[in-house]
Amino acid sequence: MSQYKAVNWNTPENDYAGMFWEQNLRQFWIDTEYIPSKDIDSWKSLSPEIQEAYKKALGGLTLLDTIQSHTGMPKLLDHIDGLQNKAVLSFMCMMEAIHAKSYSTIFTTVNSTAEINELFDWVENNKLLQFKAATIDKYYRNLDAAKVSNEVLFMGLAASVLLESFLFYSGFFMPLWLAGQGQMVASADIIKKIVADESIHGVFVGLLAQDVYKKLPNPEKSKAELVDLLMELYENELKYTDELYTEVGLTADVKEYVRYNANKAMMNLGFEELFEIKAVNSIVLNGLNGETTQHDFFSKKSTNYEKSTEILYLRDEDFQMDTDPVF
Amino acid sequence: MVTKKWILLNNEIMIKNDDEFSLHKDKEAVRSYFLDYVNKNTVFFYTLKEKIDYLIEQEYYVDFYQWYTFEQMEEVYDLVYAKKFRFQSFMSAFKFFQSYALRDDSGEKFLERYEDRVVAVSLFLARGDVAEAKSYAEMLINQEYQPATPTFLNSGKKRSGELVSCFLDEIGDNLNGIGYAIDSAMKLSSIGGGVSFNLSKIRARGESIKDVEGRAGGVLPIMKILEDTFSYANQLGQRPGAGAVYLNVFHTDIEEFLDCKKINVDEKVRIKSLSIGVVVPDKFMELAEKDEACYLFHPHTVLKQYGKYLDEMDMDEMYEELVTNPLVKKKKINARHLMVKIAQTQKESGYPYLFFKGNANRGHALKELGNVKFSNLCTEIMQISEVSDIEIYGKEDKIRYGISCNLGSLNIATVMDNKRIKEAVKTAMRSLTVVSDLTNIAMVPSVQKANKELHSVGLGAMNLHGFLAKNFIMYESKEALDFCNVFFMMVNFYSIQSSMEIAKEKNETFVGFEASEYANGNYFASYVAQDIVPLNAKIATLFQGMTIPSAADWTDLMNQVKQHGLYHAYRLAIAPNQSTSYIMNATASVMPVVDVIEVREYGDSTTYYPMPYLDNDNYFFYKSAYDMDQKNVLRLISVIQKHVDQGISTILHTNTKDSTRDIAKYYIYAHKMGLKSLYYTRTRKASIDECVSCSV
Repeated sequence: MSQYKAVNWNTPENDYAGMFWEQNLRQFWIDTEYIPSKDIDSWKSLSPEIQEAYKKALGGLTLLDTIQSHTGMPKLLDHIDGLQNKAVLSFMCMMEAIHAKSYSTIFTTVNSTAEINELFDWVENNKLLQFKAATIDKYYRNLDAAKVSNEVLFMGLAASVLLESFLFYSGFFMPLWLAGQGQMVASADIIKKIVADESIHGVFVGLLAQDVYKKLPNPEKSKAELVDLLMELYENELKYTDELYTEVGLTADVKEYVRYNANKAMMNLGFEELFEIKAVNSIVLNGLNGETTQHDFFSKKSTNYEKSTEILYLRDEDFQMDTDPVF
Repeated sequence: MVTKKWILLNNEIMIKNDDEFSLHKDKEAVRSYFLDYVNKNTVFFYTLKEKIDYLIEQEYYVDFYQWYTFEQMEEVYDLVYAKKFRFQSFMSAFKFFQSYALRDDSGEKFLERYEDRVVAVSLFLARGDVAEAKSYAEMLINQEYQPATPTFLNSGKKRSGELVSCFLDEIGDNLNGIGYAIDSAMKLSSIGGGVSFNLSKIRARGESIKDVEGRAGGVLPIMKILEDTFSYANQLGQRPGAGAVYLNVFHTDIEEFLDCKKINVDEKVRIKSLSIGVVVPDKFMELAEKDEACYLFHPHTVLKQYGKYLDEMDMDEMYEELVTNPLVKKKKINARHLMVKIAQTQKESGYPYLFFKGNANRGHALKELGNVKFSNLCTEIMQISEVSDIEIYGKEDKIRYGISCNLGSLNIATVMDNKRIKEAVKTAMRSLTVVSDLTNIAMVPSVQKANKELHSVGLGAMNLHGFLAKNFIMYESKEALDFCNVFFMMVNFYSIQSSMEIAKEKNETFVGFEASEYANGNYFASYVAQDIVPLNAKIATLFQGMTIPSAADWTDLMNQVKQHGLYHAYRLAIAPNQSTSYIMNATASVMPVVDVIEVREYGDSTTYYPMPYLDNDNYFFYKSAYDMDQKNVLRLISVIQKHVDQGISTILHTNTKDSTRDIAKYYIYAHKMGLKSLYYTRTRKASIDECVSCSV
């Protein structure tokens, strides 16, 4: 009979699980906190080409987050050592489901049901998007077995990092670019929350992958496989970018951005950068920066606030202060 | 849609070369913004006459010819254009053209430059007095003073909103009172006001209605209605409506009130866009300090027992009585836990504001006329108010004081550089007075009554940190305290002097002056007792060339006030000024900067704003508010507060790692230092890099 273990948070399993748990908790949010209805006027002012690109970008993102929450995270957490690591992954899994839903929160606000249905049809029938999904899913499905080799696990984790840190960004470009120029700003609040989450997901899964990588007898072989996979996905991303962004004239900028994020994914996995980057569009790059921004509470909701996870109470000495008047 | 070049350039400030930001890109962004956008989209006129006539004929401007000849107007235009004004940063130019410049009816073409707006405001406020118009124009184009948004935006325009921005009122505990409040909210919001209500008189959830227990819905449903009202009644879609509500901490709905801002709370009770504030009497802080049992009261049972609202009682006096009276329904809580709950809510949402009622009333010059009971959307307005009795149709209402306030801010840096504190304060006070006199909010009679009888204004200040940094003074230093003590004493002096002169000129004081602390001289006690002078030599140098009023001058002033009275019941209030400080290329209010380059998100844009006067030499003096000990900030505010009759919008800047206890300690400190309110709490997030690098 196998022995079942309970997760024991009293003893740290490694030096990062507890920290990522805390960070995830602090970042917790739900889509309905935000007010995309403020973007209705902005949406109507956009050209049909931009609307189309925006919808498709978000449709593609919905698909990726769906895979991540329905397949990726559950499969990975099955094979990961450490109950605390599993707990962190399951929290991330829930957030992925919230992400997948939150794109719909934006659609539902600005689009009609017919348009939305049409968009989901597009997602299901677009070859490039389906290729992306199928390629990643293949590595997740390799984890179906009860026991898998470290090589297979590493590639599963690596595929997840590629999805989180690389493949999302051709989609994020559009909302970040628009928001930087004052369009669809309220919806971008949601997108920025997602970006902040995906960024810790990529780092965390990347760390797990690095742990597994260290145990591989023939690491170079796995690395080569990873680079092949990345290049295959990269070729597909370029075509996908052409399809989404040509009409709005942003193709070159998006491609540079895709390469920039491919490098980030490699770095999250502990490897050197693959592409040489010249100039990433500053508007989008700045939009990616999760640091604290200033805002006017009356005109928009802030993305800065986080759940407070630690409640400390006051003590008697807290009331004893030097409060002599200055003058 | 192509990438806008000026926005790209502005974003490129953030590219670092050799560890330095590309600050020069900001100048390129301004240039591109003008060449590639503004100039191409500005309507061209051959002559000034053609421009003025067109704007009047097409009903963009009011008919200035009713007050001035063309030649007189031309003088003012010449004066302003001769100053060769240039925007110092992209943010300033962008904000001005985005939000303030007059556009044609299609919304596509600009009809005004900055200079034109300055002239229109000046001509409008001076009402035909050319000398007065010139003095306004000079002050505005020098950027010594900035009127609040509604005044700056609307003055001189034929089709425009009101000039006043800020309204407050009480809500009575009955349907007529609530209906009046919602009606007022809608009307005031539609003319562009930020509106704040005091909910403390409303009976709590579960109290009786017509003596049937358990029927009242409490404050939350009213908040829901107000929230929707504000979002409906915006200003022609240009600006979202904004409102705030305050609740007394002893009201039994207080916990529910705080929970409405929690991140994961039920949609029915979640308040997204309405701001909330808590009224904190001294008694509450005392109970927390002593860690004694704290009781919350059902306000309706209090009213029934004593015929007086809980909110109007002096809790120091009445608390024990309420606790011992068995007919007053109550709920026992732990005051320290409630403070921590407030801190927790602030960490998650930035709210609530805190209004320290005891501090606000301690030095209150109108204490014989009534109490200050709550504050406004930005926690700097603090005036008397009293709930009106609203009757059914056909019966006469008893209208009492709501609150109306119009605001403006001095630019500390330019006023100091030009050695014009006295002139700027007086000219600013005159322009604020005109705004008050021109305002007549007939549709909300309680607000109308207050404005008509009290003529309240709120002169504030901005660019404190910019001024200090420019002069190589650290914001947290003793020198900064010394500077503020003298500067704001002078602002206080000249604002009183100006108010007295206006009273003398008009032969009219605010209603109730005779009963005020100004009339009996109590207000002046500390000023006539001792000279206030700079203690530090460097600070003394900054004031060279200006006369600092002495104790003897204050005595003179006191006597003149006794003789002539004051025109304004309230004079000073330091607003947070957001948009307006950008136009002025100033740091906001008297708060420290948040970063050397501020990332500013508005509902409609993201812009990078390098702090005013920033260069490689003074970089060090732009220490972020997030890196400061907040007690140092609060101490500085306590010095300024002594010279300000109303309040100061004070923002706490905290970091993710600050615990609820750390934040609650700031409340205690602020209260003990005599601050009247705390505005938002802002939180700087730990970035991912930071948290991974410091612990993995």
